[in-house]
Amino acid sequence: MSLRLRAILGQVIAVAFALALGSIVILLIDESPIRVFTTLLRGAFGDPGKVAGTLLQSTPILISGVAACIALRGGMFNVGVEGQLFLGGFAAAVVGFGLDLPTGLHMLVGLAAAILAGAVWVAIPAYFRVRFNTNEVVSTILSNYVAILLTSYFTIFLFKRPGGWSETPPILTSAHLPELFDFSRLNWGLVIGLVLALLTAWYFRNTPGGYSVSMTGSAPRFAEYGGVDIKKRGFWVLIASGAVGGLAGGVETLGVHHRFMEGFAPGFGFDGLIAALLANGSPIGTILTALFFGALRSGSLLLETDTAASREIITVIQALIILSVSAQVLLRRRGDAQGGERRWKF
Amino acid sequence: MEVLTSLFNVALLVAMLRTTAPILLVAMGGSFTTKAGIFNIGLEGQMLVGAFFAVLGSIWTGSAWGGVLCGVAAALVFALIFALLVVTFRANEVVVGLALNILAGGMTISLMKAVFGTRGSIVGQGIVGLPKVQIPFAREMLGSWAPLISGYTPLVYVAFLAVPLLVLFYRRTRLGLHIRVVGEKPEAAEALGISITRIRYTSSLLCGLLAGLAGAHLSLGYITMFTENMSSGRGFMAVAILIFSNGDPLRVLAGCLLFGFADAFSLRLQTFGYPSYLILAVPYLVALAALFALSYRARPKLIRETAETMRRFLSAEPDKPSNPRPQ
Repeated sequence: MSLRLRAILGQVIAVAFALALGSIVILLIDESPIRVFTTLLRGAFGDPGKVAGTLLQSTPILISGVAACIALRGGMFNVGVEGQLFLGGFAAAVVGFGLDLPTGLHMLVGLAAAILAGAVWVAIPAYFRVRFNTNEVVSTILSNYVAILLTSYFTIFLFKRPGGWSETPPILTSAHLPELFDFSRLNWGLVIGLVLALLTAWYFRNTPGGYSVSMTGSAPRFAEYGGVDIKKRGFWVLIASGAVGGLAGGVETLGVHHRFMEGFAPGFGFDGLIAALLANGSPIGTILTALFFGALRSGSLLLETDTAASREIITVIQALIILSVSAQVLLRRRGDAQGGERRWKF
Repeated sequence: MEVLTSLFNVALLVAMLRTTAPILLVAMGGSFTTKAGIFNIGLEGQMLVGAFFAVLGSIWTGSAWGGVLCGVAAALVFALIFALLVVTFRANEVVVGLALNILAGGMTISLMKAVFGTRGSIVGQGIVGLPKVQIPFAREMLGSWAPLISGYTPLVYVAFLAVPLLVLFYRRTRLGLHIRVVGEKPEAAEALGISITRIRYTSSLLCGLLAGLAGAHLSLGYITMFTENMSSGRGFMAVAILIFSNGDPLRVLAGCLLFGFADAFSLRLQTFGYPSYLILAVPYLVALAALFALSYRARPKLIRETAETMRRFLSAEPDKPSNPRPQ
């Protein structure tokens, strides 16, 4: 327990260090850090509506974060969550306005379509990763660009809504994810995300399958010696990760926008990856870090109007956090890394 | 037939060489880190800050070359941070590279708003673009083919000249050889007394230098403007090329020409009225297809070849002890 406490303390110190660096950046662009941070807090937690807004922003980050966690545990980077999210969102929208099913079932079919789309989209990079050892970081990043352009194309040319909007027709109300409160668009997506994170954590902690995934990631030779087919396992880990990434998009479509549009969820996939990295691949930790990043995102909406800083300053802060975390994790374990063997080579 | 001639002509080749240049520059930079055994996914970010600061420097100094200098300096700072975290702190290359890319994206947009008060793009404002180089007598020698070799901005020539220079660098120079040894057999390098740290820092900085030039070419070359995320994945495509070429300059060139062609060709197709969203995806699809198609071949190990060169190299320099002195 004390080891875990020390690990958490290390992350907190790294975050504080990054915030200090971020303050310097804010000073450089002629704005007061205190003003920026209080504006962020006000924007994130100012009133119940804003708190709900924060939770709403956290939802896709949380689900994408769980997706990234699954891959990280299996020793891989799924940088393609962004693309899976777009395809999942699009697939859910198509089911949402294209089919006519009873309430409830319609929603489930929509989510299933999103999951399927995400899984299918990651299948090719996953296959080449385990079969030919093709670097999955690059293949998933490149497939993001294709996914985003492809969904934009479908939206604008195939399912164009009359009136010049670059969005699909709205989905039927039978496919909506029910909302939790009447004053916000916050919906059951948050619950789905939380349950998913807890389930994933339980899976990794308590099941042989989860253990074999963790071992495939951290000690592949040991896993192989213990009888795990690491190629097969690795393939299904990436597929699961992609499926959850697709689910993130489906939840966003069915719960928030109720349609698919161009640029409907910018950067959520990347935020999820960052949240998972900050949580060190722990799904429970990702709940906290996703809330943190959701708060930053929702707070940043006020930045544009109330300060001279642009809302992308939070991207800078997030990047600084990850940089200082990556440095401190290895400061602590520098002895371990002396062999100099890094697994992330192609 | 008419369609074909309007698709394939000198102008297409010229456009291809032009679009190849930035990706070739950044891939040549990445060749240093690849050869030194570092997986550098941060090329994208280095290129982006290079492009932004090139524009900024060009406005401040009123000269294109001042801009190029600023762009290179910014990319070098990013390369230095990358090396510090990856080499000294032994942080994960992918994490650091991705974080630096995200940092570059956020920082350029924030700075754009702070300095120019705009979102989206910087146009005009006194940006000075790079001049075009006219090769003397090109027209006399080649006639209508002259645009193939003349009239590009200087960094295009730098990009293509870098290829033979890098070939020579890896084959003939001490530093080039050291970089290869460090990348292929770090233990051997250590045993020979080569400082892995120093070599990796050096190659990372060399990489930053070329990535900065690539960025400057993007924003000061044929279009003199900066837009949000204007590197648009070229850095990632360069990494894809580096993976299947293993960082060998000639094969990198071949890969980059393929992308230059895909880029130029798809721009050409756009004028024929194909939907632009699909056309824009072509370069990424080509990158993915090439990555997948070429990765089924096992990466050729060059260790034996390097050992051979190393032996020749060492025997040529007897002042360097090749084995520890007996007590």
